[in-house]
Amino acid sequence: MKYLKLAMDSALSLGADYADIRIQKSRTETIYLRNLSLKNTSLQELYGYGIRVFKNGAWGFAHTNIFTEDAVHKTVKKALAIAQESARVKQGKGLTLAFERGYIDTYKTPFSEDPFAIPLSEKVEMMLEVNKTLLNYEEIKKAVFMLECRKDEKLFASTLGSSLNILTVYIEPMFSATAVAAGDSQTRSFRHGGRSSGWEWIRSLNLTEKAVQIAEEAIIKVNAASLGAEERRDLILDPIHLSLTMHESVGHPTELDRVLGWEADFAGISFATPEKLKTFRYGSEIVNFVADNTLPGGLATAGYDDDGVPNQKWYIVKDGILNEYGNTRATAPFIGLNMSRGCNRATNYYDFPINRIPNLYLEPGREKLSPQELITDTEDGIYIEDQGSFSIDQHRVNFQFGGDMFWEIKKGKKVRPLKKIIYKSNNPEFWNSVDAICDKRFFKTFGVTNCGKGQPGQRGRMTHGGATARFRKIRVGGSQ
Amino acid sequence: MIEKQQIAKAVEYIRKNCRADDFSFSIATSNDHLTRFAQNGITQHISGEKQNIGLAVAFDAKTGSAAINSLEENSLQYLINKAESMAKLNQSDPEFVASEPSHQLPEVDNYSPNTADLPVETMVDDILKCVKNAESKKAKLSGISEKHITSSYLMTRNGFEGIDNSTFFSHSMTMKKDEVETKVSNSVLDHAKFNLEDQINQLNSQFDSLLKPVELPKGRIPVILRPAALLQWMFYLIWTFDRRNTDEGTTPFTDQIGKQFFGKNFTFKSRLDDPDLGAEKFNHEGVPNSNIDWIEQGIIKNMNRDRYYAKKLKKQAARPYNIIIAGGASSEEEMMKMVDKGVIVNRLWYIRPIDFKTGEWTGLTRDGVLYFENGKVKHSVNNFRWNEILHDATKRILAMGPSVQQEYYAKIPTLLIDNFNFVDVTSF
Repeated sequence: MKYLKLAMDSALSLGADYADIRIQKSRTETIYLRNLSLKNTSLQELYGYGIRVFKNGAWGFAHTNIFTEDAVHKTVKKALAIAQESARVKQGKGLTLAFERGYIDTYKTPFSEDPFAIPLSEKVEMMLEVNKTLLNYEEIKKAVFMLECRKDEKLFASTLGSSLNILTVYIEPMFSATAVAAGDSQTRSFRHGGRSSGWEWIRSLNLTEKAVQIAEEAIIKVNAASLGAEERRDLILDPIHLSLTMHESVGHPTELDRVLGWEADFAGISFATPEKLKTFRYGSEIVNFVADNTLPGGLATAGYDDDGVPNQKWYIVKDGILNEYGNTRATAPFIGLNMSRGCNRATNYYDFPINRIPNLYLEPGREKLSPQELITDTEDGIYIEDQGSFSIDQHRVNFQFGGDMFWEIKKGKKVRPLKKIIYKSNNPEFWNSVDAICDKRFFKTFGVTNCGKGQPGQRGRMTHGGATARFRKIRVGGSQ
Repeated sequence: MIEKQQIAKAVEYIRKNCRADDFSFSIATSNDHLTRFAQNGITQHISGEKQNIGLAVAFDAKTGSAAINSLEENSLQYLINKAESMAKLNQSDPEFVASEPSHQLPEVDNYSPNTADLPVETMVDDILKCVKNAESKKAKLSGISEKHITSSYLMTRNGFEGIDNSTFFSHSMTMKKDEVETKVSNSVLDHAKFNLEDQINQLNSQFDSLLKPVELPKGRIPVILRPAALLQWMFYLIWTFDRRNTDEGTTPFTDQIGKQFFGKNFTFKSRLDDPDLGAEKFNHEGVPNSNIDWIEQGIIKNMNRDRYYAKKLKKQAARPYNIIIAGGASSEEEMMKMVDKGVIVNRLWYIRPIDFKTGEWTGLTRDGVLYFENGKVKHSVNNFRWNEILHDATKRILAMGPSVQQEYYAKIPTLLIDNFNFVDVTSF
């Protein structure tokens, strides 16, 4: 598109030290069903471009949806003027950008069936069938289904000579059943997160079959007992649950912008400070966290980030030791790195790219081990499935998690369902208590589509994963 | 702000070309300038105008909606095509409610030229002033300064038409040195009412009081909850304060409407006529807002209700458009003398539900906790995790401070609450 070159030529002629333009068209289809009523069937399209100008160690960013030569020039000028204002308040000599070269490339999420080509009627029928299945049970008083499909088409150019054409797609289905009985109300949810995939993924999920399980477990849960006072017991956590714990207690603390204090006023900072790199024991020796923005189906898998840096794979935690961060061209130089790992991403065209969690997963165990074998090997514990309450401090050290389905384990057997269970732990106690991780046959991923960060707030997305793992002697008990 | 002629042209096009039995057409614009700073330097600086053009249509009770960000005629035709084709492919909604008719809208002025015309240079000058203050304390400053000019227009096939123009300015900053970190924030409709010196003084006062923290164990203890902390709590109460969910048995408020369920001195309302607070004239579907009491002296008077459920209840749809918590006359000094000992909390953090039915929530303290004893602040202490049933906590309110403007949409008092349930310490 001519505007890419025009913007870059304009930025260079005005004296920018660096500039890039991101033209982005984002299409989001949302369908929300509650008790057979379609509360929302909407399609949103956002189309425009944002221009970043880097001058004298500071950024300026301006955006518009007007596609004319004049508008492009004005937007470049505005971004430059803002950068010059920013340069009046600098930390030391200001920002520097890690080395990168230009790329000319295209990337497209691999898929067979474009979710936007599937008729709305087919999607709604599928959702209604799931909703009806849930409401067939007398105790289920509330049944909801949320489906989101999103497609982003990006054209990116930079003064380094990059010209990138990127198309990504994801789908996220989520449904839940709320049972009311015995003076209580409990919800059980189907959550597999989002996946960069076509509609063929949805067809493979057998959602109506899953709905039967979800409804029945909601009823089991509402009638279940809770636990008494908190005591130390073993936890066995399934991959969907682990995706949330690793997101909060490993993903966020290893975003370099947090480490540097850039989020101190809002999202918080990190305990995982640079002097801990290569020495700090984050987890036990079998704990390896891999950042992989090339992961098939991963929500952060897009070929390149919004700095124009290629997607990469590296260890965040290696053999239990803090190894590296997720970083960007602007954050990497602060810890002496001369290349970025490519974690700078924006949600919409009008958003400024920020340091994001990459796709991040816990490597499966190397020994052959199934979740059932892990339960059999556990004397006194709680098995937790899926995600529930979560809360962590602003340094990402102390946390409390719930879950969606709980089972008490006694002498190697699941003896009864439980509800209202919460556990408390901290970094590094939690990840150092891992003594067993199931093998790769049991590896599952979960795509996060709503990672809130930044001001103004942005919805980031990335995929996590792992296999069921055991955590020894964690403080766990019933809520009030 | 969007020009009247642009609106008229777009409306004419929609009226002429939309074939649906019913529709709502909306135009929302915002002109934003946001300057984010950290570690005593600006890290992000954004400017631009956004548009959201929405059309929700219905053929009989089959609904569909679409939104774009352009008012060009070909874009409007695309919008119509998308919304109509979605509705035609959809199934009938058993809870469909026709669009709103014409309403007499309240007079509310949310627009301030002082905010709209605020120069970028002044915003940066103010940040520089704050950074120099932090440097004088050998501390690091992070925060955001932002101004927004927004416009929201809505019309329906059934005769509703309304427009709301508003502005707000917001400034937030966290000062950090070693283990001490604390934050102040404020937002106003009219930038002339924003006092930077007051904010800096408050930040310095909080910062100085937090030096040399001492460890305090977990446990139940009286707490003085400052307005910023209570406001965060209110967001989560509002989230679950839903009439339909309550009638379906999934909230703690089931069978409690009209009864004394909160503490007797807890009153929560929304007001259109408060001169300091922003208030939308109408909601996103064209329902006019009015003065409304949500909780009056502990009795649940009204709860959030959408148009479908409101119709079933033969009421008007409602949701809080601003937050006013009635206050009292006690100062912090007086509160400290009412109990033997306790803690003062500046702000809460990461509040999440533990159990929707019991109304139990968890969260942490952030940005400074002070321990007091015998009527005086002794020293700062560590942060805590708390697990509380929030409506029960209002029954333990011992005293209230005056309700003060915390944000452009909220007036909140300081509360003294007995036996607050701190279940863990937060050590970094």
